[in-house]
Amino acid sequence: MATKKKVTRKNTTTKKAKAKTKPPEETSSAMDNPYISASFWKAMWIICSISVILEFFIHRHKHFEDLESSVLGNMSNWFGFYGMFGLIACSGSILLAKGLSVFLKAKEDYYDDTP
Amino acid sequence: MTLLNNIPPAFLLIIGAFILLILPATTRKAGAIALTLFGFYAVSQLSEGSRVLPEFLGFDLTLLRVDSTSKAFGYIFTLSAFGALVFSWSERCRLQNTAALAYVGSALGVVFAGDMISWYLFWEMMAISSTFLILARNNKRSRLAAQRYILVHLAGGLVLLTGILLAIHESGSIDFTKENIYQNATAKNFILIGILINAAAVPFSSWLPDAYPESTVFGGIILSAYTTKTAVYTLVRGFPGEEVLIPIGCIMAVYGIIYALLENDMRRILAYSIINQVGFMVCGVGIGTKLAIAGVVAHAFCHIIYKSLLWMSAGAVLYRTNKSKCTELGGLYKTMPITMVLGTIGALAISGVPLTSGFISKTLITAAAEHQNYLWAWLALEVASAGVFLHAGIKFPFFVFFNVDRGLRPKEAPRAMIAGMSLMAFLCIYLGLNPSHLYSILPNSDILVEQNSFYEIYIEHFDHVATMFQMLIFSGLSFFLFLPMLRRTPTISIDFDWFYRKGANLFYSGIDKTFNSINRASEHIVIKTFLPALVRFIINAPASLTVMLLRPLWEESLSADKTSIKKCEQKIISQFSSGTFPVAYSAIFILIFIGILIFLGRSFS
Repeated sequence: MATKKKVTRKNTTTKKAKAKTKPPEETSSAMDNPYISASFWKAMWIICSISVILEFFIHRHKHFEDLESSVLGNMSNWFGFYGMFGLIACSGSILLAKGLSVFLKAKEDYYDDTP
Repeated sequence: MTLLNNIPPAFLLIIGAFILLILPATTRKAGAIALTLFGFYAVSQLSEGSRVLPEFLGFDLTLLRVDSTSKAFGYIFTLSAFGALVFSWSERCRLQNTAALAYVGSALGVVFAGDMISWYLFWEMMAISSTFLILARNNKRSRLAAQRYILVHLAGGLVLLTGILLAIHESGSIDFTKENIYQNATAKNFILIGILINAAAVPFSSWLPDAYPESTVFGGIILSAYTTKTAVYTLVRGFPGEEVLIPIGCIMAVYGIIYALLENDMRRILAYSIINQVGFMVCGVGIGTKLAIAGVVAHAFCHIIYKSLLWMSAGAVLYRTNKSKCTELGGLYKTMPITMVLGTIGALAISGVPLTSGFISKTLITAAAEHQNYLWAWLALEVASAGVFLHAGIKFPFFVFFNVDRGLRPKEAPRAMIAGMSLMAFLCIYLGLNPSHLYSILPNSDILVEQNSFYEIYIEHFDHVATMFQMLIFSGLSFFLFLPMLRRTPTISIDFDWFYRKGANLFYSGIDKTFNSINRASEHIVIKTFLPALVRFIINAPASLTVMLLRPLWEESLSADKTSIKKCEQKIISQFSSGTFPVAYSAIFILIFIGILIFLGRSFS
């Protein structure tokens, strides 16, 4: 059960939490590691590439045919638009959330003195 | 059956809920489950059309307005209640079962209400019965959250009531139709705001992530399905094509994502993702075309299923670990693998991954936006679609079941919970693979006839499947690329409820300081300065006046002897202050007074 493997954790930020809770057993499984293993990244990049390569072999229906003249309207028909869109939208959301966290995050006892 | 055809399903559940209250535990739980199944059957037996019931307050109430929209909502409301009750078989709380059934019953009441009075009554019953599901957690936080929840809903109810009364006054009819609501602009605005408060539209959204995560395990599952979706239903009824709903929906969809990314509590993440999903529906109502309305109903249907599933898996984790913060959870896949798999199915469905229910419903709304050339709305909804995968699709399962192993080794969820989750997970995939079953019960289903089979959606339109897949996989990529930024912190996020939580305190202290300082100043000026001066004046003025009048006489008679004049003055003053005068003086004063009265009486007549 308790396999005391040496944990190869790159993430120093979780050390505090670890020290506090003292888990009864630890494994070095990739799933446990916030910095996902190299093979995970390899798989991730392969799937991403497949999803883009797939686009060469399919015929995409046109979106916003009435707005074809405008760049924004035509944008959704570009090659790889959805991949780029997903990446940019999500990165943007994360950065926005991170920026807003300066103003919006508060300690858990923030509302303790309020009704 | 003609009898079932004329009984509002709401009555079955509400009356049943109170009968169950007196039964012993096992019978009660079995009865509750049977009741929801019977409710589902009763909904299926309703034939289309409106039924008027005996008059109430001089109006003919329409407790049954049956068409494909109300039936679709009726089906999913009873079905999800069934799933939630199966899930919480081990829940022994008498109050919760009754409150939940009354809540579901009143939601059905709203859905089948054809007039505004019964709509309003059921609407308020929903608010009251749902409050008990938060109170049932029975701790200080939940009591305070329930208090805020009911206050927001009562305020929203009053806004709605104002609008309804104005609309009835203007149109002279109580029928719940778009025409009646739109006759008076003020009435329309009040009704719209009243509904949007329940739909958790920004900025009236914070009650939802404030209250739902404080409810019980069972309460959270039930609550996640009804209040916001009845609001969506009433929007479909009263405001299809109301363009202001498009930006409102888009803002909700994006707002939900940002806050879900900030959150640490897993059930609060799911609460924010409700706002995000309802944003899609609100936007769809705003678009208002046949396709959009069909999409809204389909999305509400699928949303209730996968959202219940997500709340169930979070509930199972909470039940086993008694923790709900991402900073305290992690690594649970080792001992709760079934919950993990089922929860992940819900997470994939909400993200709209192809072959799940989210894919076949969300795309109807985005397609409707595209057909109407609402480019900005389309872009916002696509951002929201990508963002859903980020926060609900990956963040929730990743931080709860994987991430850092916190050493938690809870048992797998109880069998009843797994049964409830399995049912919902099955529906998520079944509807994803066989969309025609869902599409056939939607309003305007005729426009979906050519695109409702597995072949037509997944093979003929494979390009759409591929692009959706591409977008989701790249969204997932950005999650892992930015993982260090997404590290959870033991914090809460400040939302609009700040205004009535902290704001109320500030308001109170502001009012306290302003009015109490005015009070103190008034006390100083009036009580301590003015009134004693007045008293002194009242006492001294007649004496001084008399002394002033008598002084010439004394000077004559006492030949200006200062000491004797002073004595006389002091005597008069002491007589005035004690009120003791010789009889002669009193008689003289009375005579003078009568003389003045007669003089005044004469001059005025």
